[in-house]
Amino acid sequence: MANSASGMAVQDDCKLKFLELKSKRNYRFIVFKIENQQVVVEKLGSPEETYEDFTKCLPANECRYAVYDFDFTTDENCQKSKIFFIAWAPDTSKVRSKMVYASSKDRFKRELDGIQVELQATDPSEMSLDIVKGRAL
Amino acid sequence: MYGGDEVSAIVLDLGSHTCKAGYAGEDAPKAVFPSVVGAIDQMEVDDNTNGEKNSSIDSKAGVKDSERKGKRKLYVGSQSLGFRRDNMEVLSPIKDGVVMDWDIVDSIWDHAFRECLLVDPKEHPMLLAEPSSNSQQQRERTVELMFEKYNVPALFLAKNAVLTSFASGRATALVVDSGGGSTTIAPVHDGYVIQKAVASCPIGGEFLTDCLLKSLESKGVVIKPRYSFKRKETRPGDFQAVDVDFPNTTESYRLYSQRVIASDIKECVCRAPDTPYDEASYSNIPMTPYELPDGQTIEIGADRFKIPDILFNPSLAQTIPGIESFAEVGPNVRGLPQMVIDSINRCDVDIRKELFSSVLLAGGTASMQQLKERLEKDLLEESPQTARVKVLASGNSTERRFSVWIGGSILASLGSFQQMWFSKSEYEEHGASYVQRKCP
Repeated sequence: MANSASGMAVQDDCKLKFLELKSKRNYRFIVFKIENQQVVVEKLGSPEETYEDFTKCLPANECRYAVYDFDFTTDENCQKSKIFFIAWAPDTSKVRSKMVYASSKDRFKRELDGIQVELQATDPSEMSLDIVKGRAL
Repeated sequence: MYGGDEVSAIVLDLGSHTCKAGYAGEDAPKAVFPSVVGAIDQMEVDDNTNGEKNSSIDSKAGVKDSERKGKRKLYVGSQSLGFRRDNMEVLSPIKDGVVMDWDIVDSIWDHAFRECLLVDPKEHPMLLAEPSSNSQQQRERTVELMFEKYNVPALFLAKNAVLTSFASGRATALVVDSGGGSTTIAPVHDGYVIQKAVASCPIGGEFLTDCLLKSLESKGVVIKPRYSFKRKETRPGDFQAVDVDFPNTTESYRLYSQRVIASDIKECVCRAPDTPYDEASYSNIPMTPYELPDGQTIEIGADRFKIPDILFNPSLAQTIPGIESFAEVGPNVRGLPQMVIDSINRCDVDIRKELFSSVLLAGGTASMQQLKERLEKDLLEESPQTARVKVLASGNSTERRFSVWIGGSILASLGSFQQMWFSKSEYEEHGASYVQRKCP
């Protein structure tokens, strides 16, 4: 257990939806938020949605967690996908919300088994498509 | 498990320079006062010669020392320290980030609870911020004192660097905490401090203040402590300072009072230079006036830039006459950018990039003007090409100064955190060493 963890609970639905994204691939992304002392699912993205649609779902002044299933082609022309975990904590959000999300992240991430790449972003440039591509390869 | 939702917790951050105390859930600490205390020995007899005597008769001196400790009177808080007393020494409980004198710590906590916050510690859980590399022995001592003497219902020890990192919304960051007594670099990954990469150096705000003081003295400026003169109004609006003599004032108290003034000068006029300081190019810069408490106005020129640059190039301190203490630490101290890079290089390759892009500045000295910009520039020059360097500091100066306390305040007020406390019953059942399990 990490020092100063918040002890925030995780709603079962988060794990279930994540499993569906991982095995059935019926969502492109999931956005999570913390509400009433637990992590809950806020939004689900259908497989047709793009990365741009996804970034629009992250509020500019509030923190969120998100999982994104990223499809890409490698240099050897091989179709691949990787599951990204993104901790979104914009600099403009309130200190309280930053603290809550950062101190609950470790525990929450452990509940989601199968994350391949992790990203923390505090402004849109830190999670641009280029950066995501760079991390996936 | 401690379910104390109704009563708010107390958050304490005892730094090397200032102690911050307040209620969890608030935006800023209620009480901020010096971490040093004034001490007067009640056995005055051989006070002035004890230095030599103690060393000559070692075993006897040890006994004497503890006897004397029992009989000294301690004065805590800005107000009691602001008042000059005969033979009052100024003592600090902390040396190099480690608590050396628990009696003083005890008196500081007591002052915080009973005089600043007016609370009964029996009724409030306590969240204490601790240095990132606090030893197990120190932690257990803290826990024992809190549970045995203050009877707190529950407590938690949170690491400085983790709180700062979380308060900025990051679970992974490189925290550069430049405080009063030292500067500590601590990489945090997913809420864990990477202990092997923690670096610390004794150059903090107080060292800079001392450098400024000595540098001004070498130029003939005399900073008169506030107690050493009285201002009289000779004509309406016209004041004159008249010296008053107190022969029994201790050297440490005189220095403490001068530092208070010098540190204000530092905060008012100093700013980090954009490029490394050199004597020649700064010799002609315009002077900045500063009015001392006794009414004399001094002009500060190159020192405005030279003093902050010591953080980046510690060997500069050698050029200041009278900085003797530097000789002891000198050769091992590196500049801030070098320390940051060394610390990052001691971490796992996979997280280095991420650390470069979230260097967090915290602590009182980090509020120095232009410090953030300069550090970012120096890091950019020395970091690997592929790394994206980003130095962050909260725009709000309260948040920057008190980031540790604020982080603790939010954490301790979360409903979900209430199950995380190390409770008194757990202490009674498992003992002090259980703190390693509860607060890793």
